[in-house]
Amino acid sequence: MTVFEVINNILKIAGDAFAGLITSILGAGGLADFVVMLVAALIICALCAVAFMGLTYAERKIVARIQDRIGPNQAGPYGVLQPIADGIKMFTKEDTTPAEADRWVYNLAPLVIAVFALLTYAVIPFAPGVVGTNLNIGVFYVIAVGSGSTVAILMAGWGSNNKYSLLGAFRTVAQLVGYEVPMLLNVLPVVMLSGSMSLVDIIERQTLGNGGNGIPFILVVPLSALIFLISGIAETGRSPFDLLEAESEIVAGFHVEYSGMKFALFFLGEYVNALAVSIMFTVLFMGGYAGPILPPYVWLLLKVAAVFTILMWLRGTLPRVRVDQLMSFNWKFLVPMSIVNVILIMIIGKVFVADPVTAQVNGGIAVPPLVQAMILFTSNVIVLLIGLLMVSRQARQLRLTEAEDLDRRAAHNKAAAAKVVAQ
Amino acid sequence: MTLQQILFIVISLVVLGSAFLVVTTRNLFHAALFLVVSFFGVAGFYVLLDAGFFAAAQVLVYIGAISILFIFAVMLTRDVITAQRGNSQWQAAAFVGAFLFLLMAILLGPFSITIRGHQFGNANWPFDMAGDAIKAAPSNFVGTMGSGLVSMDQYGVPFLLAGVLLLVAMVGAIWVARELRGREAEKAAAETAIDDADMDMNQPVQETLPLVDTNEAHESHDAAAVEKH
Repeated sequence: MTVFEVINNILKIAGDAFAGLITSILGAGGLADFVVMLVAALIICALCAVAFMGLTYAERKIVARIQDRIGPNQAGPYGVLQPIADGIKMFTKEDTTPAEADRWVYNLAPLVIAVFALLTYAVIPFAPGVVGTNLNIGVFYVIAVGSGSTVAILMAGWGSNNKYSLLGAFRTVAQLVGYEVPMLLNVLPVVMLSGSMSLVDIIERQTLGNGGNGIPFILVVPLSALIFLISGIAETGRSPFDLLEAESEIVAGFHVEYSGMKFALFFLGEYVNALAVSIMFTVLFMGGYAGPILPPYVWLLLKVAAVFTILMWLRGTLPRVRVDQLMSFNWKFLVPMSIVNVILIMIIGKVFVADPVTAQVNGGIAVPPLVQAMILFTSNVIVLLIGLLMVSRQARQLRLTEAEDLDRRAAHNKAAAAKVVAQ
Repeated sequence: MTLQQILFIVISLVVLGSAFLVVTTRNLFHAALFLVVSFFGVAGFYVLLDAGFFAAAQVLVYIGAISILFIFAVMLTRDVITAQRGNSQWQAAAFVGAFLFLLMAILLGPFSITIRGHQFGNANWPFDMAGDAIKAAPSNFVGTMGSGLVSMDQYGVPFLLAGVLLLVAMVGAIWVARELRGREAEKAAAETAIDDADMDMNQPVQETLPLVDTNEAHESHDAAAVEKH
């Protein structure tokens, strides 16, 4: 018996004992179930808060390393107690409300954003059988709940009665609503290939046995994975898409006026959302908790840590994009490429069928799953290359036009100056 | 009372209360937010009916998109935010509203009218809330709905028509935007011409360079431009 098995058993026994205790107090039935579920939900929320503390520390340390700094190193050894110090600071800060603020809206906004951020975790599978509820529309639910945070940010921006807040809120809507489109379009290939919207089924399809073939979707549809990650970063408003709180332009965007615990809730919402995007990427494209030897939750932790490190890496290295660049990157590059990609995957999925029985019934060429995956991979790479080529050509043309324009103006000015001198 | 019934009553109160506040609040931004609460309550009804797909669609479409549009429209028209309610057609609106409410009350209420052998209305009153009125969706609800939508025997044609309608709306929106953009381009071109005249330091415009260069021009200037940058 390994250490992990011992931990598994202890957790299972503790859970069963707790459920038994509640049932013996309240009697079997709806109420006892309700209380047990409530406690489970509270545990997940508490875990999210703990993860939030860990993530802030990790991010500060890693971004500091990238930027050739040391990062927090005063509170505790290597500064590990920094999140607790931050928490104490947040708690003791004065909780201000602007005099002209829309009080109710202003005070509710942080709560709403935290609630929507935490709702996502209801459907995320942490290990086989360890999932809040295995909804058959899990992916759809995650995207629906993710769209709710837009309302919260609008509430914060409007309620603060501050022009910078409102500008931040306006930018948010343009960005979050816009980037939802490529995000949805790139979840679609995963749903089509796995034939289910349930997150558990999607993971099963990427593991060996149980109707899966053991190929994670990142190796089947790498382009979709890439665009999903990019639009996921934009959805959470992290750098390089942090236009909603661009410090150098609009102070802090929608949360300028917030202080103390209300600000902490916004901070929590941001990190919990970023973590949710990492977990969703892991589940959709990297096989979630699936993996050999190590227990499932360790695999999930490792994969999520890898994805989140990429997010931190991007934050530490890339400059912020401009508003017009953000929009044209989305609507002129990501969305068209996603649509082409989805249509190609549809056609390939119907022509080269991995399941021989389906091929017999619906027509199409029956191929082994590995061959189908390779064909899809190749088509993805080709679409990506064509897209990049087109964009680079267009960018070159744009540069040339701008250069010519400058030349023309310089020549004009020079001629005019010469005329003045001659006179 | 079962838990489901309690939840039904609570959600109903939330939906009705916030819907009432939508039409009575003077602050339009608050009204839009109450509308969001009301939509959320409707999503709760779908969850109670075991129609999770509709609940998620309700949140995604109504809260994620339509309310955002409402809020934006309210924000961009700042003057109306605290304006007095002054609708000259409120009597007609009240009459139509009352008429529709009565119609619904008759159809869903304890009455039933039989006209030429057809029974209109419901004779089973009061509803057994956990039994008759709230019917759980079939277990494979999403699958049934999906195959119903694409099958030509069931809802294939209406589904396609709805798709065509959305496409028409999209093309129309693009067309309208293009029209505006064309006019703006003309205006911008006029402004650029004025700029050029200014650059010549009050000299009359003698040789105006073409504003939009052709592709051949790009190619010929290519090497020079690359050298300069």
